[in-house]
Amino acid sequence: MSTLTRKQAAAPSAAERRLSPPRKKPRPTMGGFAASGFLWIYAAISISPLLLMVSNSLRTTQEMASDPLGLPSALNFASYQKAWVTASFETYFINSIVVTVGSVLLSTVVSLLAAYAFSRTKSKIFGVLEAVFLSGLMLPVYLAILPLFFLLDGLGMISNLWSLVLVYGALGIPFSTFVLTSFFRQLPLELDEAARLDGAGAFATFWRVHLPLVKPAIATVVVFRFVPVWNDFFYPLILIRDQSAYTLPVGITRFFGEYQTDWATLFAGLTLATIPLVLIFLVATKQIVSGLTAGMSK
Amino acid sequence: MRLRFLALGAFAIGSAVLLSACAPSASTAPAPDAKDDVTLKVWSWRTEDVEKYNKIFDVYEAAHPGVTVQFEAFQNTEYNQILTTGLAGSDGPDIPMVRAYGQLQPNIAAGQLEPIDGLVEGLEGIAPSVLAGAVGKEDGKTYAVPLATQTLQMFYNKDIFEQNDLSVPTTWSEFIELNDTLVTKEITPMALGAKDSWILPIFADIVGSAMYGGSAFETKVLDGSTTFEDPDYVASLQIVDDMQAYMTPDVVGVSYTDSQIQFTSGQAAQFPGGSFEIATFATQAPDLNIGSYQVPVPPNAVSDVPLSAGYADGNFAINSKSEKKDAAFELLNWLATPEFGQLVADELNQFSAIPGVTYANAAMQEAWDNYEQAQAPYLLLVDFRYGEPLGTAVLGEQIQKIFLGQTDAAGAAASLQTGVSQWFTPGK
Amino acid sequence: MKTMSVITPRRRRNIGIALTKKTGLVFVLPALVLFAVFIFYPLMTALSYSFYNWTGIVRGEFASFGNYVTLFTQLPYKTQIPNAFVHNVMLFAGAMLFQNTIGLGLATLLHRLKRFKRFFQTMFTLPYLVSPLVVGYLWSLMLSPLFGPVNFVLKSVGLDALAQPWLGNPSTAIWVVVFVTAWQWVGFPVLLYGAALGGIPEEINEAASLDGASPWQRFRDVTFPMLIPAIGTVSVLTFIGAMEAFPIPYALGGSMGSPAGATDVLSLLFYRTAFESGSSNAIGTSSAIATLLFLFIFGVSIFITWFMRRAERRLY
Repeated sequence: MSTLTRKQAAAPSAAERRLSPPRKKPRPTMGGFAASGFLWIYAAISISPLLLMVSNSLRTTQEMASDPLGLPSALNFASYQKAWVTASFETYFINSIVVTVGSVLLSTVVSLLAAYAFSRTKSKIFGVLEAVFLSGLMLPVYLAILPLFFLLDGLGMISNLWSLVLVYGALGIPFSTFVLTSFFRQLPLELDEAARLDGAGAFATFWRVHLPLVKPAIATVVVFRFVPVWNDFFYPLILIRDQSAYTLPVGITRFFGEYQTDWATLFAGLTLATIPLVLIFLVATKQIVSGLTAGMSK
Repeated sequence: MRLRFLALGAFAIGSAVLLSACAPSASTAPAPDAKDDVTLKVWSWRTEDVEKYNKIFDVYEAAHPGVTVQFEAFQNTEYNQILTTGLAGSDGPDIPMVRAYGQLQPNIAAGQLEPIDGLVEGLEGIAPSVLAGAVGKEDGKTYAVPLATQTLQMFYNKDIFEQNDLSVPTTWSEFIELNDTLVTKEITPMALGAKDSWILPIFADIVGSAMYGGSAFETKVLDGSTTFEDPDYVASLQIVDDMQAYMTPDVVGVSYTDSQIQFTSGQAAQFPGGSFEIATFATQAPDLNIGSYQVPVPPNAVSDVPLSAGYADGNFAINSKSEKKDAAFELLNWLATPEFGQLVADELNQFSAIPGVTYANAAMQEAWDNYEQAQAPYLLLVDFRYGEPLGTAVLGEQIQKIFLGQTDAAGAAASLQTGVSQWFTPGK
Repeated sequence: MKTMSVITPRRRRNIGIALTKKTGLVFVLPALVLFAVFIFYPLMTALSYSFYNWTGIVRGEFASFGNYVTLFTQLPYKTQIPNAFVHNVMLFAGAMLFQNTIGLGLATLLHRLKRFKRFFQTMFTLPYLVSPLVVGYLWSLMLSPLFGPVNFVLKSVGLDALAQPWLGNPSTAIWVVVFVTAWQWVGFPVLLYGAALGGIPEEINEAASLDGASPWQRFRDVTFPMLIPAIGTVSVLTFIGAMEAFPIPYALGGSMGSPAGATDVLSLLFYRTAFESGSSNAIGTSSAIATLLFLFIFGVSIFITWFMRRAERRLY
């Protein structure tokens, strides 16, 4: 290992340069076919249940019962209409967006501040705090629901979307500080010193110098918090009583109860609930990948 | 590192002590009722019945100006936790629909419900076995008005029976012959969702209640003169085992909803289930022509007549924290009237707990008549859900094991006895 | 490369003190308040619940370790806890195996790929975006012996012997849970390993092959050591995920862990005890289960991190 590492520093030798061009044009080989075959097959395994969900949402329950694998005979969006109207999906959508955006914003902002402090201090107390925050990753989520309920009830915040924003915001802190701290640690201290020489204060340094540099990390944190918050049904189930404040996943669990044997409507509802995340991910894949890559490399 | 954990520990202990001071308390003084306009919150787990309940409560609102009944339904499977926190918090229901029998006890023990003895008229007319579902095990007080009775029987597809010249069996040999005929005609005789274990003790009582003797056995097992290892009870589980021949192969992989669709799509001829299915079948397959019958008496059975097992399902109670108790009691009294009972029958397609109700739906009237003829308790639900492990949960899992070949009837009965012995003392 | 280890950061070599303690605390304060009020306080309260006897929602007398004793001496806990625990461990082992073979394989292949890279990344990650409850529900329908397309396909291509009642057979059901969990999550290790592979300078591999190293030797001596921090992160997160697994087992096997407890896991046991039980001390017993679970996860996560760090140190 050590010999290899040392060689890496040296510029590529003439021999290497001579060797590299043929490698850039890969000839189709057995191995190559097998490799791309594997990728395509796994992609099919990965996506087919989701395609089935979409395809079944366009069929009737009787069709599904008699022919499990058939394709929709006609584009029939009746079940979407039924799902959208009867299940008041519109309200749930808006609530989910408010809660998810609000809480992810909250946890990202407070975690950015905390992570910056963790990476720029040496005092023991910050080590303790960081460890405490991290232990939050290991919480069985169901454990704390009763005390949380009494707390929010005491504050008069039951059935209030703000209660969800705060709870999810707090739940996002462990993961977000964990990722962001490691990013801030990679930024050289010279940055701070230079900024300090320019007369910038602590917050200005953070805001103007560091924040722009950790953008990929922010994208990662945002997406990886967005998904679980968007999909969580447990907290709203207990903390939200008022149907007009339901989020999408609670709407879905009700939906399960109501339409468990009406597969077509059920699948339409599930598809509707899944679409927004897929869209967000399609838009953000590039940022996430570069965020992770930046996080993994020195 | 050690220092860090010390600090963490200190913090933990500190907060634990701090917090023991402010745990929730059960009772707060109710505020005086507001006179004029009242909104009563009613909670339920019947998400599928929201519209129907709204219609029912419209009737009440019309007769009681100034009263608004706000009906809210929550997902059935999560209802217990929603109710528990709902009754403890400030934003709870005035009239919650509560579970019956054992699962009602935690709410009663915590003082979350108001006793209603002497405050609600019409309770006397309700069958004692049904009212028992609303009574506190410890104090014997009544806490709720029963909503519905569920009966357990065999449903069948009339069209399939007609097409194949089959008729409702009246003797055990006819029952066996019927199923054998269906097998030879390549129609699955029974749809059972054995993957969902809760349906299995129901199935066991549908085919086996007469075998072990229904109420008579109940008395004996409660006073301790017999146990679940009684040969008659074991024999009833043996019937369950034998019936596997009449189900889809690998029935333990079939979920409850699959079995419903199997029956409503005409792929299976019979469906052993509770009367709560009638409403589901009616919405899901309105054209389906269904009937029901009691499974005939097996050879050497304790009972000489076929039995229909039944139980009370759902009660309406009053939240002890409600600030509108007067109005709530008025509504609760209405829920015990035949007027409401008839609405339950007509709108909800359920058997009302109130006597004197008639059923327009033929399949319902048939099932009800059968039940009236010879009833039995759905034993494990009525008497053996007062502690952990629940009798129904143990037997459900054991029947899955029977179907999988991992145990036999005697072994399942022994496990059931061991399980309930954990908390059940005979004669108490 | 060395930054993604989970428990407590350690490499502070290049990090001096740019913030005073006071300023630092101001920066941490918002997160601290939020965390203390909505996580730490409820958690500690819940832990204290496990030391009391409860009557429904009313707290009774101090029970010391009584609830913990119940868990190991009384039915159904004393039989269900070991059973569920074994399944949690299988879930962890199975997911690790899947992610570090198929997941790593996919990441390696993708790394070499020029075209379609983003397309495949997206395909592999899509299941992660779907709610786990929905995922569980979809798969249970796909695997239904009556209406499930999976058996339908197997039968139509002549593989009747493979057409199992996947979720009805205790010996296959838990592996279905493992597979579905891994299926949903595999995009995460693929992305993470892909990023780690991207961080390995191409020159090292080329130099190694010039030295005559075989592809396997290159993987063992060059690539693998560079992947250790990523593997460590994936291991810890997989462990936490496997121990807390709830929605997928719940959707596939119900709250009882059908068939016959074959898919039971600790979270389901907690859920049943807390919310479906007939016992009035449900809060006491269920809090004890959750506390043990938390302590176990905490302890093992620290151990994994320590172990990975040691492995990393030894290799450098």
